[in-house]
Amino acid sequence: MAAPNPRPALSRRGFLGFAGAAGIATAGVLTGCNRAASTGGSSGGEKPLKFWNMPWGNTQFTTLDKKITTSYKPASGLNPASYQTIQWANFTQTFASAVASNTGPAVSSGGGTQAFQFEAQGKIAYADDLLNSWKSNGLYDDFLPGLIDTMKVDKGYAAIPYNLDMRVLWYNTKLLDQAGVEPPKTWDDFDKVCAALKQKGIYGYGTMAGAGAYTGSHTLVSWMINNGGGLFNAGHEPEMVTDVNIEAINFVLDCVKKGYVDPHSVSYTSDNAQSQWKAHKFGMGFDTAGLANNIGGTVGPELTIGSPLTSPSGKKGALYFPNNIMMYTNTPNQKSSEAFLTYYYKNMAPLWTSNTGIGLPPLKSITEKTGFRKDKNAVKAIEEWQPISKTWAAPGSNSLFLGVTTVDGTPAMDTFTQSILGGKVTAKQALSTLQDTVAKAIKAQG
Amino acid sequence: MSAVSEGIERARRGVGAGGSGRTTPRRRRRPTGGGLTLLLFALPSLILLLLINLYPLVYAAMQSVRSGNLINLGPFVGLANYRNVLTDPDFWHSALFTLIFTVTGVFGSWAVGLALAMLLRGKVPAGGVFKVLLLLPWVVPVVVSATSWNWLVATPQSPLPEFFSLLGFDNVLFLSDPTLAKIVVCVFKVWISFPFMMMMMSSALTAVDVNVYEAAKVDGATGWQSFRSITMPLISRSTYISWILMTIFCVNDFPTIYLLTGGGPTNATTSLVVLAYRTVFQDFQTGPGVAIAFLMTAVLVIVSVVLYRQIAKVNIE
Repeated sequence: MAAPNPRPALSRRGFLGFAGAAGIATAGVLTGCNRAASTGGSSGGEKPLKFWNMPWGNTQFTTLDKKITTSYKPASGLNPASYQTIQWANFTQTFASAVASNTGPAVSSGGGTQAFQFEAQGKIAYADDLLNSWKSNGLYDDFLPGLIDTMKVDKGYAAIPYNLDMRVLWYNTKLLDQAGVEPPKTWDDFDKVCAALKQKGIYGYGTMAGAGAYTGSHTLVSWMINNGGGLFNAGHEPEMVTDVNIEAINFVLDCVKKGYVDPHSVSYTSDNAQSQWKAHKFGMGFDTAGLANNIGGTVGPELTIGSPLTSPSGKKGALYFPNNIMMYTNTPNQKSSEAFLTYYYKNMAPLWTSNTGIGLPPLKSITEKTGFRKDKNAVKAIEEWQPISKTWAAPGSNSLFLGVTTVDGTPAMDTFTQSILGGKVTAKQALSTLQDTVAKAIKAQG
Repeated sequence: MSAVSEGIERARRGVGAGGSGRTTPRRRRRPTGGGLTLLLFALPSLILLLLINLYPLVYAAMQSVRSGNLINLGPFVGLANYRNVLTDPDFWHSALFTLIFTVTGVFGSWAVGLALAMLLRGKVPAGGVFKVLLLLPWVVPVVVSATSWNWLVATPQSPLPEFFSLLGFDNVLFLSDPTLAKIVVCVFKVWISFPFMMMMMSSALTAVDVNVYEAAKVDGATGWQSFRSITMPLISRSTYISWILMTIFCVNDFPTIYLLTGGGPTNATTSLVVLAYRTVFQDFQTGPGVAIAFLMTAVLVIVSVVLYRQIAKVNIE
């Protein structure tokens, strides 16, 4: 008796049909998802507009910021707002991939030069109408002097100033007292204070230029601006090999040679530099306006922001970063983006008066609040440093533009800074290399 | 061939004193009718894999021949990106460091891993505990390891500079001196990679029959002769596989370098993958950045093919 011929549970023909159907179904799901993502941006109605903000301060900042955002009650027909924190780690990729795929935010903060990059790619909704509307409600005039202009590009305002970041001179009052010197007012004073601190085994030019630490490069540009120089001319072209810049960089090289700069600074991260402040190894140096709060403990209260130095050219100046909030063309409704920002700017003051660790405020009214004025260092930064500070675009202009993205945290600037702090180059040589590299990068931007 | 080496050779092949040493030839499998059904079953997964892998690959290939950015592909520029990259001194500087980093990473971790695997093969008190402890550098996230190493070497008050200071070497700039930074990064790579090699070599060594060593001992082989002529050939397949894997790990290793030095000082520790990252995400030039990545891939494929041929040769022998 022949054994029965077992039939397969699924024939080849049946399997092919099943596989084909599954493939079509999968494709349908995928295209469905794609359709939902691409059309969502223009659906309007009650769909929340996405507000992405960076963790500008401590955990309290995020909690408070989210509360401010979600408390927003839009007028009839306008969209509410949803809140999302974007971590600093890989934030460039996060924004770029989201914006490229039209899944990004309608409103966001981000890197200081991010708006200018997206503006060049046609992804930014200009803030001109919004700023015009603020002229009637007092918000426009509330901005600190010169701030709004830093956001102006050829076609309009790419963003709105938000959280100011400055590079200011800090010193440890206790260590300067021990060294028997007064806080510096000029470059010569700075040299003398450094020499006195060196006698005590303390570095007078505290800085950092390691992985992810850009303060070192910011400080070098600050020295140039302080001497009346900078990186770009009025035509937005790199013009770095100038007498004032060479003089500034030579001064830094001199500090390196004299041993005022910790030779390990070349590789210091932000944490390393802070540990040196805490260990009383840094007696003076440049950092953000929030250094004392970040250091905390017993050393934090010893730290004070000094006055801006007067350079040999008789000028004063420093580099600052008007971080900003931008609106994107990918929004459920542009009017909703603008209405939300009007609400946000009117209600964001607690972020600067509740010890959230954020930088400095862009609005005069916030700087006048008691909560803000409790921090003497922050007040000094706003009153003495903000008025003399300039952007990456200095000395040619103060308005930011796409080209500044070639110097903001780029490998070219890292290499320049590390070579200067390493002390084995000449000022002219290093500036020439930087200028050539930046010119090439700007050309590549098209 | 001397009597000793002949004996070792016979022992290595697992051949007794009177045996011929010939192995039975393998029969080739013929494809059966069920093969097509199996292929069809695998087809949906294959299609999905192609979609997942092929789409990004094709898109990246398009990026490498265009002058765009992270948002737009930009205009077609042909092979200009490849030409520019290959004529850029920074590329060759990074290629050289990648070579140093890879060679040190592969052979350094292999040597340490093999030595430890052999050491722990014998009866070691609390050997299991040692094995677990030795695995820690591989298990711990690189972010944590990099932070620990930074703490170990970064400032003058860090333990290692302090130790060197006691030896009379003041202010050793482990991360700030270009040469020392290269050494530190390579040693760090060996440190985090040797547990993987130790595991690979341990599993290879367990497959070696101890009787082979007994036979070699009887034939008068020394310890070194046994290692060179028995251990090494018998674990060669695993060794080549581990070299291939570690070469891929090293060439593609981004976090180890980036977290510890960021590619500095003055580009001293910028490997090709770090250069590609910086070109794409810091200089925002996707074309040249992706071209670098493709060139890296080409080199990796060539190295892998060469090593795979070695494996095939070992199998035939």
